[in-house]
Amino acid sequence: MSSTIAFRDVWVEYGDQIVLERLNLTIAAGTFVSLVGPSGAGKSTMLRMLLGQERPSRGEIMLDGVPMGHEPGPDRGVVFQRYSVFPHLTVLGNVLLGFEFAASPVTGRLFGVARRNAIAECHRLIDEVGLSEHRDKYPYALSGGMQQRLAIAQAIAKKPKVLLLDEPFGALDPGTRAQMHELIRFLWRDCGMTVVMVTHDIKEAFALGTRLIALDKKRVDPQAPGRFGAIITYDLDLTRDSAVPVLGFTKPLSKAGSAPHQGAQEGVRP
Amino acid sequence: MTKILKLLTVAIAAAALLTAAPLSPAFAAKKKEFNIAWTIYVGWMPWPYAAEQGIIKKWADKYGITINVTQINDYVESINQYTAGKFDGVTLTNMDALTIPAAGGVDTTVLVVGSFSNGNDGIVLKKGKTLADIKGQSVNLVELSVSHYLLARGLESVKLTEKDIKVVNTSDADIVGAFKSKDSTAVVTWNPQLMEVKAELGATPVFDSSKIPGEIIDTLSVNTETLRDNPDFGKALVGAWYEIMAIMANAEKGKAAREAMAKTSGTDLAGYEAQLKTTRMFYDPADAVKFVSSGDLPKIMDMVRTFSFQHNLLGDNVKSKDAVGIGFPGGKTLGSAKNVKLRFDATYMKMAADKKL
Amino acid sequence: MRRLMNLAPRPGIRLLLGLLPFVLIAFIYVAASAERRAVNPDDKLLPPVSEMVAAANRLAFEPDRRSGEYVLWSDTAASLRRLALGLGIATAIGLTVGLGIGVLPLVGATLAPLVGVLSMVPPMAILPILFIVFGLGELSKVVLILIGVTPFLIRDLALTISALPPEQLVKAQTLGASTWQVAIRVVLPQIMPRLIEAVRLSIGPAFLFLIAAEAIASDVGLGYRIFLVRRYLAMDIILPYVAWITLLAFLMDWALATLARRAFGFAYVTERR
Repeated sequence: MSSTIAFRDVWVEYGDQIVLERLNLTIAAGTFVSLVGPSGAGKSTMLRMLLGQERPSRGEIMLDGVPMGHEPGPDRGVVFQRYSVFPHLTVLGNVLLGFEFAASPVTGRLFGVARRNAIAECHRLIDEVGLSEHRDKYPYALSGGMQQRLAIAQAIAKKPKVLLLDEPFGALDPGTRAQMHELIRFLWRDCGMTVVMVTHDIKEAFALGTRLIALDKKRVDPQAPGRFGAIITYDLDLTRDSAVPVLGFTKPLSKAGSAPHQGAQEGVRP
Repeated sequence: MTKILKLLTVAIAAAALLTAAPLSPAFAAKKKEFNIAWTIYVGWMPWPYAAEQGIIKKWADKYGITINVTQINDYVESINQYTAGKFDGVTLTNMDALTIPAAGGVDTTVLVVGSFSNGNDGIVLKKGKTLADIKGQSVNLVELSVSHYLLARGLESVKLTEKDIKVVNTSDADIVGAFKSKDSTAVVTWNPQLMEVKAELGATPVFDSSKIPGEIIDTLSVNTETLRDNPDFGKALVGAWYEIMAIMANAEKGKAAREAMAKTSGTDLAGYEAQLKTTRMFYDPADAVKFVSSGDLPKIMDMVRTFSFQHNLLGDNVKSKDAVGIGFPGGKTLGSAKNVKLRFDATYMKMAADKKL
Repeated sequence: MRRLMNLAPRPGIRLLLGLLPFVLIAFIYVAASAERRAVNPDDKLLPPVSEMVAAANRLAFEPDRRSGEYVLWSDTAASLRRLALGLGIATAIGLTVGLGIGVLPLVGATLAPLVGVLSMVPPMAILPILFIVFGLGELSKVVLILIGVTPFLIRDLALTISALPPEQLVKAQTLGASTWQVAIRVVLPQIMPRLIEAVRLSIGPAFLFLIAAEAIASDVGLGYRIFLVRRYLAMDIILPYVAWITLLAFLMDWALATLARRAFGFAYVTERR
C-alpha cells in the first residue's frame, strides 16, 4: 500500500519572505525519497506540508490525485527526531494506541476480544522492530535507538500509505544508526509504503533513498535575503546502477537488507 | 567534631535567649515612654483627635513623659496585644476588660470611663416585629462579645434562653454584608454597623442597649502596675481626655472636633452625631466619678461576670465566677479579694473634676 | 577544606540537623512560656505544654459542657468536609477548563484572558457579594475556596499542556486520534501528575480561605473555634488547633504525593533523588 505524492506549483511564503519557490515534484508510489539541503532551505517546511501541519501559500499537494487534507491524519505516519513516543504509555501501549483510536471514538480504549486481537497484532509489530523483551517498559527506560524503534513501530502500526521521517536517526550514535538503517529499509520493503525522509546526513540519504532530492537557494539577493526561495537543485535517481556523484560511498545493494531483524543490541538504560 | 558541636550548642542557646527575650512581658517600673492603643468606635474617637491636635503631647510634656497613641485595626487584636504586654493602655469595654486581660492575669485599671452604650448596640430582625419573635431563628453576631451579652440580656427580658435560638459567629467587619444575605434573619451588632443594618429593607430594631443603660461601658484601661509606678501616666491621659471633652461639649467649638473624629472613623458629621446620640458621653468628669462610685456599678459587673462565667470566658478551669476579683472605688470588691485583677478607679477622674491636674 | 557546597551531611547527621530547628523552637517556646508564667501566673499568651495537652484532651475526649459535642472532632469533620468539597470541585473545574484552554485554541482565546484576570481578584475583598449570592451557609465557604484556588489550577494546567511537545499532538493525529481522543488519551494522563502537584500546592491557600470563611460567619469548624476563643486569648486551645491543622495539611500533602508517585510513576523517573 503506497501513494503517489504530487506537488503542483507549490509556493511557501511568510510575509515577504519566500521559503519555497514554485515547487513541482511527483513522487511515485513506493519511492524512498531522501530530502537533503542546508538548514533553512525548506526541508522541514516541505515535510510539515506533507504532514498537514502547514499549508502552501500557493499551489497544492495531491495524494493519489486528490488534494491532501490540511491537518495530520492516519494516512500519513511520522517519526520525529524526538518526542515521537508517549512517555505515559508502555511500549505495548504506544503501539496499541493507533488501534484504540480507530476502534473506540468515545473512550479511546479497547476491551475484551477486540483488545486481545489488537494486542496480538501489536506483539507482531514489536517483534519486528526487536523490542519484544521491552514490551512492558516505559519509554524512559529505553535507549534513544529503542525509542526510535518504538516510534517507527507505532507509526507503521495502522499501515499509513506515506511514512514521513524528520531526521529520525539524527540523535543516535553511529552504531545504532546503522542498525536503524537496516530496520527501516526492511520495513519499507515489507510494507511498500512511500517514504519521505529529511536528513542532514548525506551518507544516510544515499544509503537509504531510491531518490535523492536536494533543496537549496540558488539565487540570493544580498539586499533582501528573503527575496528568493529554495528550489530543487538535485534530483537523483538512486535505483540505477550508474555512477554516484559522491566519493567514498558505496551504493546500497538493491536486493540486500531483507534479512529479518533480530532484537536490538543496544543496552537498556538503568 | 565535638568542638563544632559545643560551639553549635552555645550558639543555639544564645540565639534562643535572644529570640525569647522579646516574648517576655514588659516589667513595670518607673519609665518615661508609654504606649496606648485605640480602635475605631464612636466613644474612643477623642483619643486619636487628642493625639492629632497635640493635646496628648501637651499633657505628656507637662509631666515629662512621652505617650504614643497607636491605632489597631482589629479590636480583639488590640486587646490581645495589650494583654501580652505590648501596650500600657487600650480602649475597651468593661466586659472585654474582665474577660481578656483580667482573666488573663493582667491586673488592669479602668482609668477613664468615657461613655456607655445607650442604643449603640442593638438587635435587628428581618422576620418578626418584637424580640420574642427571635425564637427559633439563627442569629448572626460576634460570639462572646458585648453583642452576645446584649442578646443574653434581651432574651432574659422576654423569658427566652440561648437554647431557643442558634448563634452564628460572624465577624463585625462582615455583619452588614451578612445581613443582606437571605440566610440571615437576625443580627446583633454595634455602631456604625447597626445603622447600616437598621437601614436594610424590612429590618426591625427590636432591642438595644438603651434598655440596659450603663451595662456596656466604654473605657480606657491601663496596666495597674504601670499606673501605680507612674501616676503621671494616668494624670497626663486623664488631663488630655477632659480637655477634649470640654471642647466636644461645646456646640460651636466642638463641631470641628466632631467633624475630624467623624472623618477619622470613616463616616461624616451626620453619621457621627447620630452615633453620639446613642452614646451617653460623660463630658463632665464629675458625672463619670459619680457613675463609677455609684452602687449600680457592682450590680452591673456582677451580671457581666455571671454571663462571662457561664460562657467560659473566664477560662475553662475556672470553677466559680468569683475567681477573678473586681475592685471598686472605696475598697469594695466583687469576687476574690485576693485576686483582684480589674479595678475601677475614680482617683484620676476625681482630680480632673477638682481641677487638680 | 572542601567547598561548603560540597559538604553533605551523613544520614544520621541529616536527621539531627532536620530535627534541630524543631527542638530549637520548642526550647524557645518552653523558656519564654516559663518566663512569662514567672511574672504572671495567669498568663494566657504562651501557656505551658501541660496546659495545651490538657486543653487538647478536653476538646477531643470530653463532651462540651454546653452542646455535648466532642468539639475537636465536630470542628474537624465540618472543616474537612468544606475543604474536600472546595478542593474537589476546584479540581474538577480546573481540570475541565484547563484542558479546554490548553487543547482547544478557540476556548483558550475565549477564556484564558478571563481566567488570567479572575486569578488576580483577591477573593476576600468580594466577600459581601459572595454572602448575598451564596448565602451564609456551607455554600459560601466552599465557594470562597473555589474562587481562591480554581483560577490557579486552570492556569497551571493550561501552561502544562502548552509545554507538551507539539510533536506528540501531531503524532497522535497521524495515529487517527480525534480532538477528544487526544484530550483523554494523550493530554489528560500527562497532566495528571501536575494536577496533583497543583492541588498539593493549593492545600495551603485552601486552608487559608477555609479558616477565613469560618472566622467570618460560622457556628462550627476549626477556623470558627480559633477565632472564637481568640476573643479571650485562649492560646492553650489555639496552639493545639494550629498544630492539628498543620498535621492535617501535612497528611493531605503526603497522601497526594504518594498517590501521584504510585499512579503516575513515569513522571517521576528523571527527578533528582
